[in-house]
Amino acid sequence: MSVPILELKGLTKRFGGLTAVNDVSFRVEEGGISGLIGPNGAGKTTIFNLITGVYKVSAGDILYKGASIADKEPYKIADLGVTRTFQNIRLFKNLTVLDNVLTASHMSAKYGLAEALFRLPRFRRDEKALREKTMELLSIMGLADRAEVVSNNLPYGLQRRLEITRALALNPKLLLLDEPAAGMNPDETNQLMRLIGEIRGKFKLSVLVIEHHMDLIMGVCEHIHVLNFGCTLADGKPETVANDPKVVDAYLGAEETK
Amino acid sequence: MNLFLQQLVNGLSIGSIYALMAVGYSLVYSIMNFSNFAHGSVIMLGAYFGYYAMTLLGLPFLGGAVAAALGSAGVAIILERLAYKPLRDRRAPFLYFIITAMGASMFIDNSVIATIGPTPKMYPNVFGQGPISIGHIDIGRVDLAMFIISAVALVALILFIDHTKLGKAIQATAYNMKASALMGISPSFVIILVFGIGGGLAGIAGILYGMKYQVFPQIGAITLKSFIAAVFGGLGSLPGALLGALLLGILETFVSGYLSSQYRDLIAFTLLIAMLVIRPSGIMGKNAEDKA
Amino acid sequence: MEYILGIFELSAINLVAVLGLSILTGFTGLFSFGHAGFMAIGAYVGGILTKNLHYPFWVAIIAAGLSAGLVSIVIGRLTLKLKGDYFCIATMGFGEAVRLIFSNMNYVNGARGLADIPQFKGASLAIPFVVAVIAIVVAWNLVNSRQGRNMVAVREEELAAQMAGINVLGSKMVAMIASAVLAGVAGALMANFIGFIAPKSFNMTKSTELTIIVIFGGLGSISGSVIGAFLLTALPELLRAFSDWRLVFYGLAVIVIMVGRPQGLLGGSELTPSGIRKMLADRKAKAAFARAKAGGRES
Repeated sequence: MSVPILELKGLTKRFGGLTAVNDVSFRVEEGGISGLIGPNGAGKTTIFNLITGVYKVSAGDILYKGASIADKEPYKIADLGVTRTFQNIRLFKNLTVLDNVLTASHMSAKYGLAEALFRLPRFRRDEKALREKTMELLSIMGLADRAEVVSNNLPYGLQRRLEITRALALNPKLLLLDEPAAGMNPDETNQLMRLIGEIRGKFKLSVLVIEHHMDLIMGVCEHIHVLNFGCTLADGKPETVANDPKVVDAYLGAEETK
Repeated sequence: MNLFLQQLVNGLSIGSIYALMAVGYSLVYSIMNFSNFAHGSVIMLGAYFGYYAMTLLGLPFLGGAVAAALGSAGVAIILERLAYKPLRDRRAPFLYFIITAMGASMFIDNSVIATIGPTPKMYPNVFGQGPISIGHIDIGRVDLAMFIISAVALVALILFIDHTKLGKAIQATAYNMKASALMGISPSFVIILVFGIGGGLAGIAGILYGMKYQVFPQIGAITLKSFIAAVFGGLGSLPGALLGALLLGILETFVSGYLSSQYRDLIAFTLLIAMLVIRPSGIMGKNAEDKA
Repeated sequence: MEYILGIFELSAINLVAVLGLSILTGFTGLFSFGHAGFMAIGAYVGGILTKNLHYPFWVAIIAAGLSAGLVSIVIGRLTLKLKGDYFCIATMGFGEAVRLIFSNMNYVNGARGLADIPQFKGASLAIPFVVAVIAIVVAWNLVNSRQGRNMVAVREEELAAQMAGINVLGSKMVAMIASAVLAGVAGALMANFIGFIAPKSFNMTKSTELTIIVIFGGLGSISGSVIGAFLLTALPELLRAFSDWRLVFYGLAVIVIMVGRPQGLLGGSELTPSGIRKMLADRKAKAAFARAKAGGRES
């Protein structure tokens, strides 16, 4: 078996007395789309925060392409090729669409600070290439005609799309999507499903997605991991997981208390 | 030994004023999560309110103190309503609050300079002449008043916060504003309340400080010390602010007494930076990991 | 004529310091209460080098910028990890500490200040303008580079910036050093222009005045800072009669700007052909957005 792009091994996170994530292990295969589901408060976003280094791991390990990233700084993890979107969109709100994406592609430029301050040749060359590459990405993602719009003024659906575009600008190998369909209507959700499938192929990505929309999860994911109260409830193919009595129970139980 | 005790007494006296300022400032911080850097200007206005109440209106000291407390509380509330509330309503970034507070401080201080003028004013002497001697230790009358009144005000505040419904509402809001709002505690009301209390304490601090020294438009600068004290204790923690203030007061008098008064402030600021580097959450502050 | 020239000299000097603060506060979102501290370091280094050691102006100016920059590395290491208010209070502590150190230093005459510093005259009067132009170009290039964009990202959304692979602490450090170097250079220019410096010229009021100019010009705009620096330096000089009310007006203006027009004069935009195009495009998009919203509500 090949090395998975991401592997969690007994991952645990405690906040004071509260164990938010308890001994969770699963893997994301290279090139796959995996789903992470569970009722509210199950610890899904906490796992994203652990993978991306926002939180420090209490116990267990996170392997990216077989090497531990558990103690790395968030920005270094991003440089390695792991990036994410947020449940409550976090764009650089006052910047244009173009600048949002341009900012995220900063690692593609190699010029140093002195070269920037005095506009040396490499600065000009790199900046030009950066802009071309960014515009290309914007066209692929259907945002080219809005390049100069301040991102805060974009309609909601496009803000989500821009956040994904910004993530893609880093040339990631693993993309973590945190409830990308939140607040979308069925139509937009369908579009998003198609988009996720498309970018996986086009950018040679592996994707891990948190979602509540069961249609989306069942429609795009090849593998699903179910959490409940920070613990693993089930793990497997969509159809197996969907018929697992424990999963059905947790979801129905959650419905009842609502 | 006598020098030591004398310094300790002086330190407690100045520390108690710092405490009045730091507790009010920290109280507002605990609710709003931002530093009201205009606190010093409110203190300065309190000193003027007290001064005019006692000289123009001829009120006795207690009357002056009440006038200072009420006046400063009013100013703090007006400041909240006019300057901070619009920012809060707009969910403006944190930076804007600080900048606004700085602008407010500049506005108030310089308004006083432009209207009343920069000349220092002397409070009438209401406590009588000469120090009070206990054993070999001399205590200035104003210093004694500072200590007693600060202690009374702070004890009253602690009782209020721990044993009244309103006080509990403040605690609940500091802990979690959203949840408290759902429980029927109006955040807006609590915010007005803490600005009022913080302002009131600032007013009392202002009149006491003005009596010890003089009244002039820049005396608000002393609040720098209360920021340091609050950071020592842990921003947002009232017992922390109290402890930090007393420690700072004592430390300062000992530095002045045993080293040189020239180094007093320098050491205070150096300690501030050292504290921030070593333990930014202060003595009593929580060191929790942010939930992103 | 000489008077008018003097006002322009002062504006140019203030501009250099303001540009530094513009990078720190306007572009990176860090608010420093102690920036006058860096100016003081530059002013004293420049003053001592030209007066006591007889170095030429240029050497003194460069040395002043470097010294302030070096100190900022230490201060940055200590304080940049601090969040929000803690950072402000720490910088305030730094600014006051610097002022008190110079007040207690006998070599520089303590609180009485350093007098008889060689002044710019004749051809050397051009120095502040040359430096100001260099500062504008360098600041402009910085904020329009990837390093500058990273700073803005840090200001906008720290967490998202980290997820975009931006070293937040590193970006803040670059901003801090750049702003300190410019403040130090401005300090040396000030010393050599006025010929006299004292610790109390570099108190918190000085720090806040600089910040106010940045806010007035607009957070995140180099051209705004330039216009702000000239307007707010020249205006009070021309309106001497109201000098008591100048700071009252400044304070009020800050509140009004923050409450009513937080972008200041030109926040986030630049007065260049492409900047103006951007502004117009954005205005159109905003109007379309508002229309769409209103339409959505009706249906």
